[in-house]
Parts: sequence; structure tokens; C-alpha cells
Amino acid sequence: MSLPTFSKHLKSIYQLAMNTKSFLAVPALILAIIILLNGTPLVFTMPYDLFNNLCPVQLFNFVLLPTIVAILYIMRRGRAVYLIDYACFQTSPNSRVPISAFIEHVHHFPFLDDRSIRFMTRMLERSSIGDETNLPPSIHYIPPLNNGFDEARAEAELVIFSAIDDVFAKTGIAPATVEILVINCSAFAPVPSLTDMVVNKYKLRSDIRCVNLSGMGCSVGPISVGLAATLLQATPHGSHALVVSTETIASNFYKGKERSMQLTNILFRMGGAAVLLSTSGARARFRLKHVVRKITGAFDDSYGCVFQEEDAMGNRGIKLSKDLLTVSGDALRANITTIAPLVLPLSEQLQFASSFIARKLLDGRVKLYIPNFRKAFEHFCIHAGGRAVIDKVQYNLGLSDEHVEPSRMTLHRFGNTSSSSVWYELAYIEAKGRMRKGDRVWMIAFGSGFKCNSAVWECVRPASEPDKAWAGCIHRYPVKISEVIENIGHSGKIQLPSVDEP
Amino acid sequence: MELLPLLTALLLAHAAACVAWMAVSRRRRSRCYLLDYACHKPSDDRKVTTETAGAVIERNKRLGLGEYRFLLKVIVNSGIGEHTYCPRNVLEGREEMPTHVDALEEMDDFFSDAVAAVLRRTGVAPRDVDVVVLNVGSFSPSPSLVSRIVRRFGMREDVAAYNLSGMGCSAGLVAVDLARNIMLNRPRTMALVVTSESCAPNWYTGTDKSMMLGNCLFRSGGAAALLTNDPAFRCRAKMELRCLVRANIAAHDDAHAAAVHREDADGRLGVSLSKALPKAAVRAFTDNLQRLAPRILPAGELARFAARLLLRKLFFRRKQQVLPASGPKINFKTGVDHFCLHPGGTAVIEAVKKSLGLTAHDVEPARMTLHRWGNTSASSLWYVLNYMEAKRRLKRGDRVLMVTFGSGFKCNSCYWEVVRDLDDAGAWEDCIDDYPPETLVNPYMDKFGWVNDVQGQGGGFVF
Repeated sequence: MSLPTFSKHLKSIYQLAMNTKSFLAVPALILAIIILLNGTPLVFTMPYDLFNNLCPVQLFNFVLLPTIVAILYIMRRGRAVYLIDYACFQTSPNSRVPISAFIEHVHHFPFLDDRSIRFMTRMLERSSIGDETNLPPSIHYIPPLNNGFDEARAEAELVIFSAIDDVFAKTGIAPATVEILVINCSAFAPVPSLTDMVVNKYKLRSDIRCVNLSGMGCSVGPISVGLAATLLQATPHGSHALVVSTETIASNFYKGKERSMQLTNILFRMGGAAVLLSTSGARARFRLKHVVRKITGAFDDSYGCVFQEEDAMGNRGIKLSKDLLTVSGDALRANITTIAPLVLPLSEQLQFASSFIARKLLDGRVKLYIPNFRKAFEHFCIHAGGRAVIDKVQYNLGLSDEHVEPSRMTLHRFGNTSSSSVWYELAYIEAKGRMRKGDRVWMIAFGSGFKCNSAVWECVRPASEPDKAWAGCIHRYPVKISEVIENIGHSGKIQLPSVDEP
Repeated sequence: MELLPLLTALLLAHAAACVAWMAVSRRRRSRCYLLDYACHKPSDDRKVTTETAGAVIERNKRLGLGEYRFLLKVIVNSGIGEHTYCPRNVLEGREEMPTHVDALEEMDDFFSDAVAAVLRRTGVAPRDVDVVVLNVGSFSPSPSLVSRIVRRFGMREDVAAYNLSGMGCSAGLVAVDLARNIMLNRPRTMALVVTSESCAPNWYTGTDKSMMLGNCLFRSGGAAALLTNDPAFRCRAKMELRCLVRANIAAHDDAHAAAVHREDADGRLGVSLSKALPKAAVRAFTDNLQRLAPRILPAGELARFAARLLLRKLFFRRKQQVLPASGPKINFKTGVDHFCLHPGGTAVIEAVKKSLGLTAHDVEPARMTLHRWGNTSASSLWYVLNYMEAKRRLKRGDRVLMVTFGSGFKCNSCYWEVVRDLDDAGAWEDCIDDYPPETLVNPYMDKFGWVNDVQGQGGGFVF
């Protein structure tokens, strides 16, 4: 048995013992024994008599020891971070893009040749994306308007301000109490930054700690939450942190023929989410338990998997390589290796450890035991990157269709909204009334880098009503999504696709 | 001794030791040391001389006489010399058509130089870096530049990497603040802070005067710094961070609109600097100093200032007069030995000099940095610090105040204490002896002063 693995598991057992409430039982037990053996009546003696009659040892037992144990317990707990509430950007019917309309537009784009048109049509039919997803107005043009800085700004303002307005309305918290602001938007980082834009609109305080993350891809949701949680440790108890995740589609539409770069046009849609965090547990709805980050950029194929570059004609776009599924599988495995000891019950960990060691000793002849994560989590929010990604993660983790239903339905209703998709999935679970107090949620996000980041939440209080984004349509979900949308003609005749409802 | 009292005593001792250890550990984590830093020195073929500047301006056929005069005025007043650097695509004539690869190349040059240098000089292996915070304004590709660094230097899988963008010229200290906050929760952490500005894709090609200022002032440059809270590195560290104050007055509309990325009338993208910028800077500066002063100045100076303020108020109330605009000044030199000011432009340096009551000696590092490197945006204050070190001004126990301004409008300040005598010339090594220069004749006025004498339309924009 190798020493590092042994010590790693000893550590996790120790963690388990320390984290459960049995930690307090030990000194309490010792205290009880001491009291019984000393035989001094505890409750009914007057304090004066108590001080007179007690010898020093008993005094220490009754006064100092419980106090010190209590202090130790409080200090070791650290500052827990809670989610007060969150709000997702509610898409509007004005900006919706049905798949049939998208296909029709594609047929008319002057910069595409026949091969590209056939490719895009095929991809759209197989995308599992529905007919109510949103694109910004500039993309509705034929051909889409590009280089629109003002359009990008308008889109960012619309999404960010709507989501923030909703979250302030839900929580009733005054904007002036927000001490930390973290915004992430990969494709758009203007000057003044989006954080300054929010500070200006809501008149936030001048000593606010704001951070504007950019370029970090679809996996940055847990990173922003982790960053806000870290910054909250340095602010007074009860401070609020506002985290906004969004992506800008306007001015990023790829206008070339390179097929690997056209996939982003097909998948990405408008969306965003605003989340309010705090170190105070009053009015909290979730508690943040862990944030785990893994970046596999050291390997060339991982790094080049999602890569922004210019094609041969000089059009800028994001290229998705064919190795995307393999790379995401590797990144997920790296993430699981770190998160498993933190969340799995002891039995699963021991099984995983023994299969890992056996595999090492027997040179890979033993299949690695995949831990049963259903024992650790009730709900899974897997980034809705695309149908293939969700299928792959479902297979790797051994999840049922019901577990990945939030991801599939989010992809269908909202498309790939980049870093905010995990929040739409959480909103789906709550809108369906499936969230209970004590349920644990695992948010997994993948993105360029190649990164796999996860956040673990525990529910304190489920939502009393569905989020606005899902409120108007949750009654229609879940929807049966066919592999290929039929009844869309390739010759340009458009018919509405049939979608079966249960 | 009996078993039970022994057990009690042991438990008590253990608990007391735990509490003490936790308090000490928390105190240790809150320390932040600057282990070392390195400023980027681009290769000499990227220097902008008067000839090359003239060639670049001449290539833009949209500019007329009025614009030439304006540009000359700005460049002459900017205090920028003949040794600043700009990206290759500008020098090669491709400033109107920058490619993605040009921008990445500019960043790669910087990473290979400064980031590699700081890791090499400190002997810190890339795999020992726990946190990377990168700040590059106006360029955020996918995968992020911080991922590019992680890959280039082979850092660990679980490195906490953050990519900031769009936060303006004062974002250098935002990155330091972020690194410091992360280290508060993690013992023995090594943080790499990388700051730069991307000039290649951001050259303005139009005729809007408020946007042409950026072309005149901003130049290529960057800096990388290693911070740590590990007390084992204290003897090797250069400085210790004492306090950092951030002020963001974006809540005021005119401050928010002081520096804005937008399209001009012809649809060309550029950063427009408004006339309200100096006023916003002053406001942000005041906000920052109000929170900074009580934390860094000695009690005596604060008491003296408070007393003078009170007396002045009473004096004027007795005489029934209105308070004049200028009041008693607080003397920052009682708490600060060296001032590291952001070289945003001569006007900014002069304004700060006046408001803090500094001498020419105090602002010399900032002026010389502006002359030698131009305004390299967020990384410029590391060049200013490097100048002080090269001139052997930094001695053990000295206190350094860094002040930066940036779009938003933000004013961030940072207070350091020098741990040991510093004498590393760094990027200034080959030219420190030429500074301060004897002659102050601006080479641009020399070469292009004829523009002012030509008959034609006059320039109108007064900044």
C-alpha cells in the first residue's frame, strides 16, 4: 500500500470524524465522567457555595473546559458562506429564435457555402435545443451584425440589470449593503468594466471590492462563487457579496466557413444569473460546502480543446476540437479525485481506494470502481454544454435520466448560456418542487482551459415559488427530446417540429 | 498523579495550545510579503522613436492639420521620451488590421520575459505557485491568458487562477488585493500577480480627439510580482504589505463616464477620455486618502491636522466669514518616505504633487518612468518602484506609498514597508545612469514643431 494514498485516506477518515457532531461528544463524555466521579451536585447549588466548596480541579472542569471546547468548535468551523437567493435572466419572446427560423437564416447567410449550410442544419437538428431560446437582436439580422460594441453593451446591460433587479426584489436587500461584487463575462470586457457599470447603476458603495473576471470560459460559475466566498472571509460578519455570471453573444458571431468554429454559433444563447451570498445564515437558502477547481491546461490537447483564433480568412471564432468529450472526461476525473474524499460516505471511499490501489498494483487489469455519487448528492447541475457532454457525464458518473433531466431541460429551454447554465438548472429543480431541506446539490461546470470546476451546496430552505425564468413554462416540462428534430425540410420549406409531451 | 486530574490538565493544556496556535496562524496568514518583481523590457526593435511615431501618424490618411497640431501638443506635454515601446504590428504598418495572433504574441513576449524572470530570480518552481492573478485590460481571449501562463510554465492542476480584464489602469493593485485576500485563508501560499495592458488590438484609427490621447500615452509593458504569506520567506522578501485601500466612485455618473470604450462617429472603437477626468480623479483620490490617512499616518500628525481644522473652523465662525476653499494640508511625508505614483501623464503627476505637497525629488521616479516607458497602464507603478530601487533609494524600514488611478473611476493605494536594503536595477539596468536627463528639450517639438507654424485650421481640443 503506497504511503501517500494511505495517508490521504487516513486524512479523510480523520476529516469525517472531525466534521460530524461526534466531535463534541468526546469532551462532553469526559466531562460527564468527571462530574459523576467527583460526585458534586451541579445544578441546584448556589454559585457562592459552589465557589467556596469546589476545589480548583472541579472549578476548571465546570467553567474553563466547556468554554474552551466551545471556542475551539466555533473557531474550527470557520466562516460558513450562505446563498441568500439567486435569480436567472428571464428570456423574452421578442428575442426568441426557433430552430426552424435559425435554419432558414443559415440558408441565407452570404458567407456560408453549401457544405457549411448542410453542416449547420444537421447540427441544429441534433442540438436538443428548443424553440424558445434567445439571441440578441443584432444576431436576428441576415447576415448578423457584428463588431457592435454598443450592441454588446446593451445586451450585457439588459441581462445583468434584469437579473440583479430580480435578486434584489427577491431578497429585499438594499444595494448599498453589498460589499463584494464579482462579475464574469468571458467574451466582453469593456472599459469601464462591467463591475463599474453595476456600481454606477445601483449606486453601490465606494469601498466595494469588485472583481471583473473575463475570458475564463463556461466553467467560471463555481470559480466566481469560490472567489466571493474567499473575499467574504475578510469582511465583517453578515456582509453581502453579489456574483453575476453571464456571457455576451452580440459581436461574437462567427462569420466564416470553418466547421469547428460554427458550433459555438449553434449552441450559445443569451442568459445570465445573479447570486447573492453572505456569511450570515439568516434568510439563507443554501449553504456552500465545497468548491473544487481543476485545470488540465498543462496538456496540449486539453489546452487547445476550446481555442479562440482566427481562421484562414481572418474571421475570429472559438474552435471546438473533436477531442472535447475525451478532454472533458479527463478533467472530470481529475475533479472527482479531489472532491470524492470530501463528499462521499466512508464506505464508498474505501471501495474506491481499494480498487485504485488494486489497479496500480495489478497494472490496470482491474477496472476502476466508479463511486456511487448518488449516495453523496440528491441533485446534479451539470453544465448544459451540449447534448453529448451531458450524455458523457451521465455515463461517467452512472447517473439516471432523472438526475440529468435539469441539464437536458435547461439546454432545451435556454440553450447553452455558458457560466449561468448551472443556475438555470438549479432553478429548474426548485421550480419542480424537488428540493428539500438538507438536500445536497453538485454543480459541475466545464470550460476552456480546459477546466472542470464544481461547487457543492446544501439546501437550507427551498424556494417557495419558481424562478421567473421558469415560471411561465415549467408546467410543460419535462419534455421528451428526440435525437433529431424531424419535419424540418432541407429545401427551405419550414414546418414546426413536433415535440411530444408526457 | 491521579488519572482524572491528569486527563483534565492534559485536555486543558491541549485546548489552550490549540487556541494559541490558531491565533498565531491567523496572524501569520494575514501577512503579505513581496518576494520579488520583474518589469518587462521589450526588445529594442520595438522602440518608438520620433521617426517611427511620425511614420505611424502619417500612415493614417484621415488625419488633417488640426489633428496633427493636437497630437503634437499632446505628445510634447505628455513627457514621453524616445525609448518607449509599442507592439510589432503598429511598427510594421498593420495597426489598422491587428490579428488575434499579434495580440497573443505581445503577451507571449511579456510572459517569456518578466514572468520567467521573476520565477528564475526567486528560485520558486512553477509547481509551487498556488495562486495566479492576471490582469490585462482590453484583451481576454479564450482560453484565458491566465490559462496560457499555467500551461506555458507547467503549473499545478489545482492552481487558483483568476483572469481580470477591463478594470483599467488601477487594476494592478486590484490584483494585489485579490491575491492578499486569497492568502488570508490559506497558510504558506505563493501568489503570482501578473499585470499588463494589451496595445496591439487597441490602436485607435479614427479622428476623434478624445480617443487619440490613448495612442499618444499608452505603451507596451508589463510586470510580474511574487507575493507570499509564508514567514519562512520573510528574510528574502523585499517589502511587506501593510495596508491597501480601494475607492470606486462609479456611482457618480460623470466619474463613470470619464474613460469609456465606445465607437466614434465612423464606427471605430477606442477609449474616449472625457474632460471630466481630472475632476473624477481628484474626487476618487480624496475618497481614498480619507480612508488611508488614519491607517498610515502617525497619531501625532492626525491630531495636529484635526486641531488645525478645528481651529480654522472656530476662527471663521467667530469672524462670521465663509471658509476659503484651501484648508490646512495633511502632511503625508510624516508617514511615507517614498511615493510611487501612477505615471498617467504629466498633468496627473503634477496634480498629485500639488495636492500632497510633494517635491520634485518625490515625483522624479514617476516622471522618469513616464519618460522612459510611457504610460504602461496597470503595470507602470512597478516600473516606478524599480526606478527607486535602481537609484538605491529604498532602505530597510522605509515606507512606500503606491497610488494609482484608473477608469471606473477608481483610485487604489497600497502601503508597503521595506524589509531590507534594495539595490536591484532590473529593467532600468542599462539606462539608470542617464536619468534624470540633463536636457529637457522634447524631441517631438524639435522635429515636428513646424506643424504649429503652418497656415490652416487650428486645433480646438484643450485637455
